[in-house]
Amino acid sequence: MAHTAEYDAKEAWSGGQSPFRVSYGKMFMWFFLISDALTFGGLLVSYGFIRHKYAEIWPKAENVFTHFPFVEQHLPLAYVGLMTFILIMSSVTMVLAVEAGKRMDRRGVLIWMFWTIIGGLAFVGSQAWEWFHFIKGTDTGAMRNVWDMATQKYVLQEWHGANMTVNEYGVPQFANYFFFITGFHGTHVFSGVVINFVIFMNAINGTYEKRGHYEMVEKVGLYWHFVDLVWVFVFTFFYLL
Amino acid sequence: MEFHDDYPSYETMYNHDEAYGKKARRTLWNVFWIMLAITIGELIVGFMAPGKGWSGSVWLKIFFISFTIIKAGYIVIAFMHLGHEVKFFKYMILVPYLLFMFYIIFIVLTEGTYSGQKANVTRVDPILIQQQLDLQKGHGHGSGHEAAAGHQEAPKEEAHH
Repeated sequence: MAHTAEYDAKEAWSGGQSPFRVSYGKMFMWFFLISDALTFGGLLVSYGFIRHKYAEIWPKAENVFTHFPFVEQHLPLAYVGLMTFILIMSSVTMVLAVEAGKRMDRRGVLIWMFWTIIGGLAFVGSQAWEWFHFIKGTDTGAMRNVWDMATQKYVLQEWHGANMTVNEYGVPQFANYFFFITGFHGTHVFSGVVINFVIFMNAINGTYEKRGHYEMVEKVGLYWHFVDLVWVFVFTFFYLL
Repeated sequence: MEFHDDYPSYETMYNHDEAYGKKARRTLWNVFWIMLAITIGELIVGFMAPGKGWSGSVWLKIFFISFTIIKAGYIVIAFMHLGHEVKFFKYMILVPYLLFMFYIIFIVLTEGTYSGQKANVTRVDPILIQQQLDLQKGHGHGSGHEAAAGHQEAPKEEAHH
């Protein structure tokens, strides 16, 4: 069992083996995740910077995201809580697929990867629903000043929802950061679902049975957990704080 | 044709049997319940915060960020299996990343404090105001350059046009 094996530091660097005891594929998946994590870290730090610079006029997330499907009530944070639950759940099913792969249990890998893909699709769908409601806006909307070219005067105009330049809920910068950070994360979730599906098909075809190990499941699992990891931070900095 | 060397097979090195798998699965489910409890706790506090007047307080921020870091730690150590990797590998992954993140947070906290202050705005304004005036007058590029003669980037703009 490599899990408990003692590992001598001098022997590790004496050659003939990897001192890190990982295959190159897994190591470079980690390297990729580090670079991706730096991108997300930079985005969240810049979000925090702008948010504190405009602290007085920054909209509160609990006043923006208050919808829940099929419920006509003011429910702040409930929907994003559900999304977080879906993603954590799919992370658990992914890690169970990895665990099954380490026992060379093809059936286990297939079952758990199937649920992971379902969870990923559910998350992407939830995010699409949230974007839809954010863009569509509330029934009451907000008033804003618009420059009227004909009369050369500002006139009041009713406005619903948010886009890149106008935001019903507050400063447009909030909408820009929301679209960019959750959109970037959603792109990662979507590509994760696609990669999961490819690995799932390979597992069905018995590719990894022939190869003698299920390390590809572990590598794609690393990516999937990273997506969950990023969401934990987006959830805190965007919705809770 | 396959390539063989006498390297250890790292792909199968961490494989395990059913007995170990049972133990590993129990750990993973425990981690899941802890993370679920933390998330529900965060949601309850976030739900109560506006009514109790906690919104925006320092303690609320410390509460949320510290629990977020605990959750992130569980994901990286248990789910991503970094806790079971070799010491050198852990350091190689974590140290450069944390170094960069602490650096960028430090820079934002120290250097970001004077962004938007009047002292910085006035340094830019005269040029902008002059350009706006030129545009309103409907003059060409020529007058714009005269106005921005003291500006270092003026020759570059000329080459551009």
